[in-house]
Amino acid sequence: MKHFLYLHALSARQALVKILRQPFGSLLSLLMLSVALALPLVLYLGVESTQTWVGKLTATPQISLFMELSAEDADLAAVKSSLASHPKVKSFSFVGKAEALAGLERRNGLDGLAEGLDSNPLPDAFVVTPATPEPRELEMLQKELSGLPMVESAQFDANWAKRLFGMVELTRHLTLFLGAALGLALVLVTHNTIRMQILAHRDEIEVSKLIGATDSFIRRPFLYHALWQGVLAGLIAWGLTSWLVASANPAVREFARLYNEQLELRPLAPLELLAMIAATGLLAMLGARLAANHHLRQIEPR
Amino acid sequence: MIQFDQVTKRYPGGNEALKNLSFAIDSGEMVFLAGHSGAGKSTLLKLIAGIERATSGGVLVNGQNLSKLRPSQLPYVRQHIGLVFQDHKILFDRPVFDNVMLPLNIIGFDRRDAAKRVRAALDKVGLLGKEKAMPIHLSGGEQQRLCIARAVVHRPSILLADEPSANLDRAYALDIMELFKSFHQVGVTVLISAHDETLMEDYGRRIIRLREGQFAA
Ligand SMILES: Nc1ncnc2c1ncn2[C@@H]1O[C@H](COP(=O)(O)OP(=O)(O)OP(=O)(O)O)[C@@H](O)[C@H]1O
Ligand SMILES: [Mg+2]
Repeated sequence: MKHFLYLHALSARQALVKILRQPFGSLLSLLMLSVALALPLVLYLGVESTQTWVGKLTATPQISLFMELSAEDADLAAVKSSLASHPKVKSFSFVGKAEALAGLERRNGLDGLAEGLDSNPLPDAFVVTPATPEPRELEMLQKELSGLPMVESAQFDANWAKRLFGMVELTRHLTLFLGAALGLALVLVTHNTIRMQILAHRDEIEVSKLIGATDSFIRRPFLYHALWQGVLAGLIAWGLTSWLVASANPAVREFARLYNEQLELRPLAPLELLAMIAATGLLAMLGARLAANHHLRQIEPR
Repeated sequence: MIQFDQVTKRYPGGNEALKNLSFAIDSGEMVFLAGHSGAGKSTLLKLIAGIERATSGGVLVNGQNLSKLRPSQLPYVRQHIGLVFQDHKILFDRPVFDNVMLPLNIIGFDRRDAAKRVRAALDKVGLLGKEKAMPIHLSGGEQQRLCIARAVVHRPSILLADEPSANLDRAYALDIMELFKSFHQVGVTVLISAHDETLMEDYGRRIIRLREGQFAA
């Protein structure tokens, strides 16, 4: 058993040395692949980082009901009672114009804004939480509410969030698709590298078979070669991604601050990194295995 | 140890290289295989090593019928055989030492002991000083001895040598025959082919004479 492990360690080391010495061309294709692999990885992190935030936005759709500027207290009372008795309104809160202005000052650091203005330009508003998350019913409710007397407009706050959510979903699908496509590319690229390796070692393989080498003995160095190649590609992709995330984050934070939100791209978690390295390693070995099955059979000694 | 039962070997294309051959070689015996070019000497040796398969008949090596073995089991038969190939099959991309190391790597020999084994084998064939040399820089006779070192380094129980003294002058050829005799003396079964019978006759050993795939008188 110890001996068996020793043989594998030996193969692994020799394969690593060989990878670093291999022709520039195959090293280059490995690098290109790593760069390409970084793309779905960054997309994945983008989706993962924004989805909880986006989910929170869309989970609680709200309708903002803005009153005419000339609305009187009696009009407000009328709207209030319609809302209170409406079966599709779960709850609502009133945001008076003064309160809205104060909130604006506070949130955006615009102290003294009120003093600079002759009159408050903001309307009174109700924030309505509907009883249903169903889009069509929400739309009907929105129409209905905007028809109440002295209501200027009823805005569906979740509209843009819905669109954002849709985009994130689309990006998620794109990530999956890209990941699958590049996984396939990894298989094909290692298949090709190993095929060339096998052809380059034709004599050695033939002689080895003649003097009693088993198929697994002959395959072993090529599988290790592929394993290292996959792990290396994964690691390079990870390094690139980490660098991208780190350099993009200040801008992302700045952008989110404009909307009073806290958002940043997170780096790959250790377990995710491990899973990715395992995946690239296994895919590369799959490519090598296919190449070995096909090309080693063609080298029959005579 | 080695037994042929009515063995016929027909190559694709209908060429019958061996015709209904039966013979046996005892364990520890040293036997010569003689015959002109095309008589079937290489074919016979390849059948013993499982490199070619008999078209009909049984080839028994160390009690195993090679015709009945699955291809995946053949490597283990070959690991007990030392082969000196007619066309040498030296790997020219690596030094002498690594060429001789190859069989030990294949059977998974411990690396430090392996180096000792390799040097012992090189010493035996008189190439100890050349372990770092590239094979292309060796003379024909030295390349021949490199093949022999590679064939014996893993201490096989059977040694098959296909014209190991071809293209060598007589003195050199005799040296090589002496080498094989020394392996035979430590109990290895040795089978050597050659088309020059005069070399064999001096040794007083059994000679299997082939002509067109059959025993010659
Ligand atoms: N791979 C092959 N395919 C077809 N015919 C072959 C093959 N190998 C050998 N033969 C034929 O089988 C016959 C015996 O060949 P073999 O190589 O065994 O002869 P040999 O005694 O070793 O000759 P030499 O002394 O020239 O090496 C020859 O007629 C040869 O042409
Ligand atoms: Mg021959």
